[in-house]
Amino acid sequence: MIYSEVSGTVSEILVSRDQIVEKETELLIIECMKMLIPVTSKNRGKIMNIYVKENDIINEGDKLIDINYDI
Amino acid sequence: MSDKDRYFKMNWEKELEEKVSREKLSENLGGKDRIKKQHDAGLYTVRERIDILTDKSSFNEVGKLAGHAIYNENNDLIDFKGSNFIFGKAKINGRNIIVGGDDFTLRGGSADASIKEKHLKCEQMALSLRLPLIRIVEGSGGGGSVKTIETSGRANVPEVEGWNLVVESMGTIPRVALGLGSVAGLGAAHLACSHYSVMVKEKSAVFVAGPPVVEQIGQKLTKNELGGYEIQLKSGAVDDAVDTEEEAFDAAKKFLSYLPNSVYQLSDQITCKDNPKRASEWLIEAIPKNIKSVYKIRPIIEDLVDKGSFFEIGKEYGKSIVTGFCRLNGWSIALMASDPYSYGGCWTSDTCKKVQKFVDLAETFHLPIVYLVDCPGFQVGLDAEKKGTIKEGVRAMSAIWQTKTPWMSIIIRNCFGVAGAAHKRGSSYISRFAWPSARWGSLPLEGGIEAAYRSDIENANDPKLELQKITTRLNKLRSPFRSAESFLIEEIIDPRHTRRIMCEFADLSAPLRKTGITNRTMRP
Repeated sequence: MIYSEVSGTVSEILVSRDQIVEKETELLIIECMKMLIPVTSKNRGKIMNIYVKENDIINEGDKLIDINYDI
Repeated sequence: MSDKDRYFKMNWEKELEEKVSREKLSENLGGKDRIKKQHDAGLYTVRERIDILTDKSSFNEVGKLAGHAIYNENNDLIDFKGSNFIFGKAKINGRNIIVGGDDFTLRGGSADASIKEKHLKCEQMALSLRLPLIRIVEGSGGGGSVKTIETSGRANVPEVEGWNLVVESMGTIPRVALGLGSVAGLGAAHLACSHYSVMVKEKSAVFVAGPPVVEQIGQKLTKNELGGYEIQLKSGAVDDAVDTEEEAFDAAKKFLSYLPNSVYQLSDQITCKDNPKRASEWLIEAIPKNIKSVYKIRPIIEDLVDKGSFFEIGKEYGKSIVTGFCRLNGWSIALMASDPYSYGGCWTSDTCKKVQKFVDLAETFHLPIVYLVDCPGFQVGLDAEKKGTIKEGVRAMSAIWQTKTPWMSIIIRNCFGVAGAAHKRGSSYISRFAWPSARWGSLPLEGGIEAAYRSDIENANDPKLELQKITTRLNKLRSPFRSAESFLIEEIIDPRHTRRIMCEFADLSAPLRKTGITNRTMRP
């Protein structure tokens, strides 16, 4: 599970459910303190679920994406 | 009987035999079953830990004979269990240290099986000999349990005897604490009251009180959910977590390698195999031109310092600032750098606390500080206000202003507001440089223009166009060269040659370092 490390607004979602992503792929972008901060995958994995949509206001610790690295 | 035999009969061999036999009993710890239980849990015993941590055969134990003996009616010893706190002098990489560790196989390291004077002596020994102290903590670290009331026959008025030694040593000798199992109460306090603390992922849990106690207030949590590394690293109670006990020992050794034995010494220069004048071409494009884009600070740090020398401390806490030790031309340096991935580099409440501790740590052990600055200010918003960001911010600023250690700041991008101003201390000299990508001011233009020029924008025929015009006008004025014209920034440097400048700073700072206790000794 990937949680948000910052509070801000979901600026862009770059992946979709069931997509296989490579290590360090940018999954979504959070606008925080006027900066665009990418959230990336730690490893190769499959996107199981996306809990936010673009323009959502999010808080630190909110669930963002469920990713399965055991593929 | 020969003369030789007669001679030996008259000596002290028999007494020494008893000493050896008692010491052997002490090595049995809590007994075979408890040792097996410890191993089955994937944990080492305290003696194994000390053995792995320290140089071979270097451990000189103090008080191995102290413990709890059982005698028969003739006052002959029938059993002996050592105290559940073991300590002594040892060496790591040839360097003297003091090490003390809890024996979890004896009453879970609790006070009932402890001899508190051993804890005190360990602290006193490290402080008096001015040697680094490594505490291996498991259990309650010699603190009491409810059972203590029965073994002592009375209730304790709470007191932490010897805490004065702990406080004094925070300002005198390096203290490292390793939490290697479940750690509660006084044990957790020892872990938190250190210059550097480490726990082992999935094996260690740290809390004021464990799950059974917490359940009484309605929170049903596992050890990991309550005090696992993910909780304690983010809370800042513990600095780092590693996968194995061996890695925890390595981390302790690495941390100490940057520090002197005490504040009465200075850290040594080691041979530097990395060219101090090495230039790095890629640094010219390390900072994106798009001001909304972030960049990774750690590769920049790794590139600037002596190759492989960066040792990060507290990676998961107050993440807008990266802190750690490094070497520059072989000199030991405390390095801070902003991380735009966390709140754009804005100082959160936790970041401020992290800065306080790190700056105090550097000041205490006379390490020069290098700060790579990209700070758009304090974090703003309701969350930030609720967390007392401004209060922690001024405490961080005060810590910076109180330093006397040589200081260098390189502004690599943003430097705004009060938090930005904290890249230097008051009026005393610091070495300051800026990259061409640097931007500064009281407030970033973005967001500030609407507030400062509200009436101009609102009264304009085309407010959008007016905002754009004002932005273009102000953007021209904020060039770092305009500030350099007024000598507001001393030097703008080519990022590719930053390492050379940093190494020169380290060379120039080395003779300026002064030994001794700082005016205000650090708190944990």
